[in-house]
Amino acid sequence: MGDSLFQLPDELLFTTLSHTFPCRDAQIRAVATLLHPHAAPCQNLVIHGTEATGKSAITAALLQALQEDTEKDEPLLRYVIINSIECITARHLYESTIAKVAEALQWRGAATRCDSVSQMVVELSKMLKYPSYPDKFRFVLVFDGIDRPREAPITLLPALARLSEIIPRITSVFIVTSPPASFLRTSFVPCIEFPNYTKNEFVTILNTTSLPTAPLPTTTIQETTELWNRFTAAVHDALARAASRTLPSLQHACTSLWPRFTAPILAGTHAPREFSKLMVAARVHFQDESLLDPGIVAIRSCSTTTQPQANNSAAALPSAPPSQANTPRKAGQFTTTTTPSKPKATANPFVSATTTDLSTLLPPTARLLLLASYLASHNPTRHDLVLFSTFHHGRRKRRGGLSVGTSGRGGHRGAQSKHRKIARKLLGAHAFVLERMLAIFTAVRGEWDPRWLDRDVDNTREMDADIEMAIATLASLRLLIRVGGAAAGGVAGDQMDRGGKWRCNVGWEVVRGLGRSMGVEVEEWLVE
Amino acid sequence: MAESHDDNPALFEDDDHRAVYIFTPAGHSGLPQQEKARPVKRRKVTSKRASSSVAAAEVVQEGEAETERTQTTTTTTTTTTAAAAFPRLFGGKESAEAAELRRQVFDTAWPVLDGRIKNVLREANRTTLEDVSSFIRDAEGDATRGTRIPAGFIITGPNIASQDLLFEQLSEALGKATQARFVRLRAAGAPNLKAALKKVIRDATAQVSIGGGGSDGDEDAEVAFGRDGRKYLDYDLEGLHAFLSAQQDPSKRVIVAFEDSEAFESSLLTDLLALFHSWQGRIQFSVLFGIATSVELFQARLLKSTARQLFGAKFDVVQADLVLDNVFKSAIAGTQATLRLGPTLLRNMLDRQRDQVAGIRVFISSIKYAYMCHFYANPLSVLLADEKSLTRQLLQPDHLQAVRTLDSFKAHVEAAVDARQLNHAQSLVEDDSYLVKQMAEQRLKKQDYLMQLLRSLHLLTSMDLVPGRFTDLYVSALAGGLDLTPIIDAIKRLGADDVPALINRLLTAIQTGSPDLDLPGWEDEAEDLISSLSEIRDEIEALAEQAREKGQQSLKSKFTAQSKVLRTTVVAQKVQLSQDTAKLTEEDKAFGKAIDSLVDLLTHHIYSDPIDSLFLHEAWAYDAEAPYRDVFVPRPGTTFERALTRPHGYLGCECCSKTTGTLSATLPTTCILYQLYLETGSLVNVADLWSAYYALVGEDSDVGLGEREALVRFYRGLAELRMMGFVKQSKKKADHVAKVKWLL
Repeated sequence: MGDSLFQLPDELLFTTLSHTFPCRDAQIRAVATLLHPHAAPCQNLVIHGTEATGKSAITAALLQALQEDTEKDEPLLRYVIINSIECITARHLYESTIAKVAEALQWRGAATRCDSVSQMVVELSKMLKYPSYPDKFRFVLVFDGIDRPREAPITLLPALARLSEIIPRITSVFIVTSPPASFLRTSFVPCIEFPNYTKNEFVTILNTTSLPTAPLPTTTIQETTELWNRFTAAVHDALARAASRTLPSLQHACTSLWPRFTAPILAGTHAPREFSKLMVAARVHFQDESLLDPGIVAIRSCSTTTQPQANNSAAALPSAPPSQANTPRKAGQFTTTTTPSKPKATANPFVSATTTDLSTLLPPTARLLLLASYLASHNPTRHDLVLFSTFHHGRRKRRGGLSVGTSGRGGHRGAQSKHRKIARKLLGAHAFVLERMLAIFTAVRGEWDPRWLDRDVDNTREMDADIEMAIATLASLRLLIRVGGAAAGGVAGDQMDRGGKWRCNVGWEVVRGLGRSMGVEVEEWLVE
Repeated sequence: MAESHDDNPALFEDDDHRAVYIFTPAGHSGLPQQEKARPVKRRKVTSKRASSSVAAAEVVQEGEAETERTQTTTTTTTTTTAAAAFPRLFGGKESAEAAELRRQVFDTAWPVLDGRIKNVLREANRTTLEDVSSFIRDAEGDATRGTRIPAGFIITGPNIASQDLLFEQLSEALGKATQARFVRLRAAGAPNLKAALKKVIRDATAQVSIGGGGSDGDEDAEVAFGRDGRKYLDYDLEGLHAFLSAQQDPSKRVIVAFEDSEAFESSLLTDLLALFHSWQGRIQFSVLFGIATSVELFQARLLKSTARQLFGAKFDVVQADLVLDNVFKSAIAGTQATLRLGPTLLRNMLDRQRDQVAGIRVFISSIKYAYMCHFYANPLSVLLADEKSLTRQLLQPDHLQAVRTLDSFKAHVEAAVDARQLNHAQSLVEDDSYLVKQMAEQRLKKQDYLMQLLRSLHLLTSMDLVPGRFTDLYVSALAGGLDLTPIIDAIKRLGADDVPALINRLLTAIQTGSPDLDLPGWEDEAEDLISSLSEIRDEIEALAEQAREKGQQSLKSKFTAQSKVLRTTVVAQKVQLSQDTAKLTEEDKAFGKAIDSLVDLLTHHIYSDPIDSLFLHEAWAYDAEAPYRDVFVPRPGTTFERALTRPHGYLGCECCSKTTGTLSATLPTTCILYQLYLETGSLVNVADLWSAYYALVGEDSDVGLGEREALVRFYRGLAELRMMGFVKQSKKKADHVAKVKWLL
């Protein structure tokens, strides 16, 4: 059997693999050739490709199949897969490699402690180099996602690539996203690319793997299948080309669109043959952004799911195939998306009111502090006197930014446009000194908070523990960020150090909402 | 020394509750006298206190105590009550029994409330707990989840401190409901990935040895290090996996709760979630996030690829307002509360809850602090003891004397004089035993007053016509009394269908009372009210029936019907306006009368006086705002400023007493420098500061310091200013320091 020099694995193996991983035939054959002990086993192999192209899954399945295939009377191929995402440190990587190799070889007494690559080489040599194995025995080490190791030395990858020079039985497989040129620092490493699927491939995969299992109520199974085929192609054209390029996201889009798409058929308005009419009817759903970015909340809170379900029980019938398991969720999405103009207000006003904006969550003092720090972050210090001083004008005159006044005079327009800058609120937040923000806070508090108007003037200079607690809370919520840390803070880097530098971490939209919740147009207080 | 201050509660001084006191150095002659004047302690701590070394240590601490007040007050107050007896008041003339009795009353009064409050808090989280548990349980079988990690987002509001109870309960409930291991992570305890993983593994493996029963500490370590002798790194999740397999735990569930999600680095969260996700098939990880702001903001901080790994659901915790209302009802307004908090204090506490980042915990400690202050410092609080323990012997002449100085006593006597009850007034002032009798009677009057107040409030709120919250209503009732005026109009405008419903609500309110307030129903005592209410209801229903028979659409009363209608008639191209009075039928008139009588009836039954109109209310009501603000809202800036401008208030020295806010050579160096500092601009030239200082204290002045000594003092003063955060080194100019603090 092992007489011929080059012998490809059994064809049956490829057929089963291609069945589970459609459209990856070429890659499977190439990898198999380079790993099979009887074919052309190589020393290092780089498998690369973008996200969700089947690299890891195919490698694992293929190696398993090869191992079983070559297992005649003595072991010819063993492999381990090390997922480097799960390895926290380089040491962790070495130790789990050794442990896994020992497990694969059923080796007893492997070292438990391993600090460096050289130590790992020693351990691996003990297990792989010196004991006797069959002639063509190969050991495959698969490093999955090795291009993003944590806390790894820069020599890690070249060192791993040289393992096979020391221990010739080893084949190292590196699964990466996109390999930089000669990142292994060694010549001639075969690279196999797993390209992203084309449209035809996408459609084929979707048609074979995620076909709706049950036919729509009024149609035959064949009609349903045909409709699904045309539907997936349409979804691909609408979404995949521009935005959702990976298989899982396309799959997600298809399964979540399907019930909405087939709703007219269930309602009896359209027949399954009328594809274009169905498309027109479902056009609005294709514009739904949540298909592409589903967000982290998959289930609206339990008390709210029942309501939309009741409203839309006619639309999202429970028999819609992919959503059978959880109708509430689909129904919830359905309501939010049918009215794209006012997204959440219709879904459930209660939830959106209580949870979405900071203004309902933060107490007034914290809100004021946040606004003050936004102003401190986005106004240059030299304008503070103009904006906040009440000394010269008695009551401060509100002004809508300085540039309005100056650009009105036509003469200086040339000079003005030279210094024309990006609006400050579009720029990132600048750092400010805590004392300055507190000063702005006290100035602004008298203006914005009616209860402070009639208080004693001396009182307003006072910072009590409540204000400091509010600052600390905002900091722990990361709405305010300490810049520079303890090193820049001078004495002890205390959070209450008035000389400390801070930055406001909230965007313009949030701040505007906050301001309006207190009856303040923040725009009027920004110098542009 | 600060540590021993915290550790040993016996070391607390009698002066600790005072805002400002004279600092007497150890060698000073004042001390022994003070020691002698101090009441003899009956407790075993006495021996400790007497030893002179401890006493010397105390005195030093007193100086620190002022500055440390901010941090230690909470611990101070709790530990004091735990160990030390209450001091004798009346300048030490109070009997030890009375002091002990005050202590006993406090010890019995507070735990009752504490239990009720805890109950309320636990109840408040119940629905959230159930929702979260069922989500975690159901997520397992949810087909749409795929390999995503079940993630519960619990919107808790910005009060991080008050989440503690919630997560404690979650850990209990989820451990029971899902057989999962529960790990709580806080940002402070998990600064990086390794530390976070270590904590996860340690907590997840430790819980079984506590709860599972079988395994000891040794066995535990063995398992954690693997069955086949393999050692796992302590941040290796494989170790956890091996442990769970060894435990023969079929579900292998671990729930990780991020208590303050916002405080975690987003890169750390990303790493952790990626890791959990990659282990998903082997260990069933679920995550819970306590979110203070909003899910949207939280999501914005995560990578999209991380967000895709989460299968989330959102849970709202009961609004803080609602919890506050419930706590208020049970602990402050309820009948169980021994001590009544006065309106000023309550208004302050409620305002603070609304305006500041102060959690419900702060509110509860404020209540406790009020109780403590009252029983600790008010000798008349013995009157709150029950009749058995409050004997005649216990009431000293001082007590009676104290009663006679009360404002409410004065008001009461004056009222008696005005009402021509001269004998009564005279006996009150002169006859001790008469006064004692009156005081005993006041006890009943107080009970009646409280019952009347609570019943009125309950009736008012059960009518559903009052705008505003219960808390506001209660506070205004205490402050200015209560009557029906604000809602008379609303009652009068009710239609014929609404009035019987309203009356029914009132009747059920009377029957059932209010469990929140711990107010039992008072059917027996309010027979005439019930019968009158039922009469009115029957009458109105009969009227409505009559009206319907006559074909009238609905009953109108004189209050609802628009009595005057303006008519326009066009006659010969001229518009004529004429007024027309809408006619009320007989039934309508009768209905109007019935409503009138209802209003009269309710006005008669819903009333309450302000709390300070009662004689002896000082004994059972506490309304001092200052101690509360001093303790819970300290103002360190002001304290510093006061100490630096008027140090003699603390030092008690003769020399500086006349210099208030002006410069004087005898002031401590730091104070002089502070005065000079106040006059400078944003950059302070140190040389100028030195020359100004030296001019003041140098050889020509009355102090006459040598240059070397002055310089040493100057340096030290400047360093102290820097320590207190007033100045900072500046890079802008050589030999200058920057002025950092402008506000207090």
